[in-house]
Amino acid sequence: MRIGTLKETYLGDAALFDSRTQKGWLIVLAAALVLFPFFAGSYWLYLACLVAINVASASGLNILTGYTGLVSLGQAAFMGLGAYTVAVLEIRLGTPFLLNLLAGGFVAMLGGLVVGIPSLRVKGLYLAIVTIAASFIAHFLFANFDLTGGTAGLTVPPAQIFGLQLDTSFKLYWLIVPITALMLLGSANLFRTRIGRAFIAIRDRDISAEVLGIPLLRTKLLSFGLSSFYAGVAGGLFAYFFRVITPESFPLSMSIFFLAAIIVGGMGTQLGAVLGATFMTLVPEALKLIVDIMPGGASFTVFLSPVRTIVFGLLIIGFLVFEPQGLAEVWRRIRRFFHLWPFRT
Amino acid sequence: MTDRNFNPNPYSARRRSLLLAAGASLAAPFAAHAQAGGEDIVIGGSIPMTGVFAFAGIGIDAGMKDYVKMVNDAGGIKGRKIRYVPEDTGYKVDVSVAAFKKITSQNKVNLYYGDSTGFAKTINSELDRNGNILMAGASFATELNDPKKYPHQFLVGPDYTEMFGILLNHIAKEKPGAKVAFVYSDSEFGRDPIDESEALAKKLGLSVPVKIMTPAGSVDVSTEVIKLRRAAPDYTIFHGYILAPIPEFITQGKQQGMKSKWMGTFWTMDSSTVMKMGEAGEGFMGVMPYRYYYDTEKAPMLEKIRALHADYQSTAYIQGFLAAMLFVESAKRTLEAGKPLNGDNLKAALNSIKDFDTGGLIGVPITITGNSIPVGRVYKADMKAQKMVPASDWIKL
Repeated sequence: MRIGTLKETYLGDAALFDSRTQKGWLIVLAAALVLFPFFAGSYWLYLACLVAINVASASGLNILTGYTGLVSLGQAAFMGLGAYTVAVLEIRLGTPFLLNLLAGGFVAMLGGLVVGIPSLRVKGLYLAIVTIAASFIAHFLFANFDLTGGTAGLTVPPAQIFGLQLDTSFKLYWLIVPITALMLLGSANLFRTRIGRAFIAIRDRDISAEVLGIPLLRTKLLSFGLSSFYAGVAGGLFAYFFRVITPESFPLSMSIFFLAAIIVGGMGTQLGAVLGATFMTLVPEALKLIVDIMPGGASFTVFLSPVRTIVFGLLIIGFLVFEPQGLAEVWRRIRRFFHLWPFRT
Repeated sequence: MTDRNFNPNPYSARRRSLLLAAGASLAAPFAAHAQAGGEDIVIGGSIPMTGVFAFAGIGIDAGMKDYVKMVNDAGGIKGRKIRYVPEDTGYKVDVSVAAFKKITSQNKVNLYYGDSTGFAKTINSELDRNGNILMAGASFATELNDPKKYPHQFLVGPDYTEMFGILLNHIAKEKPGAKVAFVYSDSEFGRDPIDESEALAKKLGLSVPVKIMTPAGSVDVSTEVIKLRRAAPDYTIFHGYILAPIPEFITQGKQQGMKSKWMGTFWTMDSSTVMKMGEAGEGFMGVMPYRYYYDTEKAPMLEKIRALHADYQSTAYIQGFLAAMLFVESAKRTLEAGKPLNGDNLKAALNSIKDFDTGGLIGVPITITGNSIPVGRVYKADMKAQKMVPASDWIKL
């Protein structure tokens, strides 16, 4: 039975992985992720890649909304900026995919910086409306320029490495999942630094943060920039994954999806973004599996499909009512249960 | 006296049913796999049974199911049964791709029905890589009508530009030199045929005095109506909408004294959609590649459908039904030629279809040389009879 973790130094207190058990489980998780593609079929590989892309984007939004307290409904637009940048570079210049992804991240970051400027003056719902406006502008840009292929969009050639085309979910898995893991590691480390703590200070009380000497505009812009960079890279991965992007690939509902993902997962925690994005992506699929095994099968699909949507909605409402701190808190409670078993908290 | 605490069966009924459910869920993929090992010809389907396109998806699904059942009841194709495996997509591309991956990983799919232009474009490279599937779908996008770029896909009717072509040909015949306005939605769907159709209109001696783009499903169109009235078109073609804002345009236009004839394209032209327009719908015209459920002209297949369903079946139903019919015909021709069922052979078989009788679903024999069936007819709303009635003969492009 583990009853606690002893930390004797400040360094130990700030460590990313603070116990041997945690490190052990992370190694198990890494091994599972490496082995997964060799056992999973194309459907599960597809879902794994989709989850990873959504996790990357949700963790970016979590930096902005969860840790800095700035609400954004523009994440899909920033993903779009990244995706279009990657597509244009891949089609026009044929530059290496890693460079394209970075460029996608930086272009989205620039977009984020522009949209973030009003964040010094407006907060909460007002800021959300600013970011919605940004997504409309982005949609207009995507739909009305020859460079972006107009409403027909662009067809993206597959990413290539040493002449090998990454054109199947199996191959793309090795691109998407490691990049997402790196992004998560980066985001986790961010909150061990001065900048990350400044974000949290702004979230908790921006006036106090300013009194403490944190430059508000610069820090808020940095948060917007970082969040958009994450969205841009996720958008780039999206472009390589789906290979077709149109202005309609990045609707406002997608931004709402990411906001819902971090709320359901648990705002302001790394695990929250991961669990939230995974939940939001996989639960509709899981509900479909349940519908499939119901007696009557396909003939019931017509009746059960709308029910599935309702159940998904009710699940989200249920989580928010009964566990407002999200899935991350549920996970912590499960861990605590096993740590303290047979005693109860 | 019995001991109420004594339970002769260690498993309670609830536990047993839970175990059974768990077992069934584990066995389901194996069962599907076992079936896949047989000789069934599989039609997969990304069908939007929820979401904004559900009205069409439910019809498409029913049409596909009915035709598959008809073929199976008649013994299948060369003794092989057809199996239809649909999955709801909510009209979302990512969900649709997931459905495709799921269905193709659990079944040996030969034919597939896709739900949108976005999906058709996204899955195209996978179809080419896979090489075993012929796909059709709910999209009539002009871009898909390119056998080189989309070698394993086809459209179950004319593409949107061809639909405009049918309408413009009709107009040029009815009123040479007429002024035709285009009103379309700001979406890929809406913009699809506009540029090419403007060029065609000029070629046919028609003029396009105004082109108006609005958000899809917009409600307040008063400024656009003023613009339209100023242009005083003889005909106005709406495209890229299902219903809104068409009735608003017509009502306000009529109130402002416009004499235009109002027209639509396939997804607007279902009988139930047009009847929802109320008074505004009187005389509304548009292009329809299929016969309506209630058409009385000779159509044995429509009679079969009417025998199956006493109530009205939508044009989406007919589309799904015809898609299944063309799938089956392609598979039949491929098997009769002794060739394996793969994407190339199925498409070649589809393209060998010449003067094919659809049982009257389309009023003239069809020939599919490329990726579309460029034929249609102009129908007109008769609000008193609550029916769409023919306003032209069948027009082949």
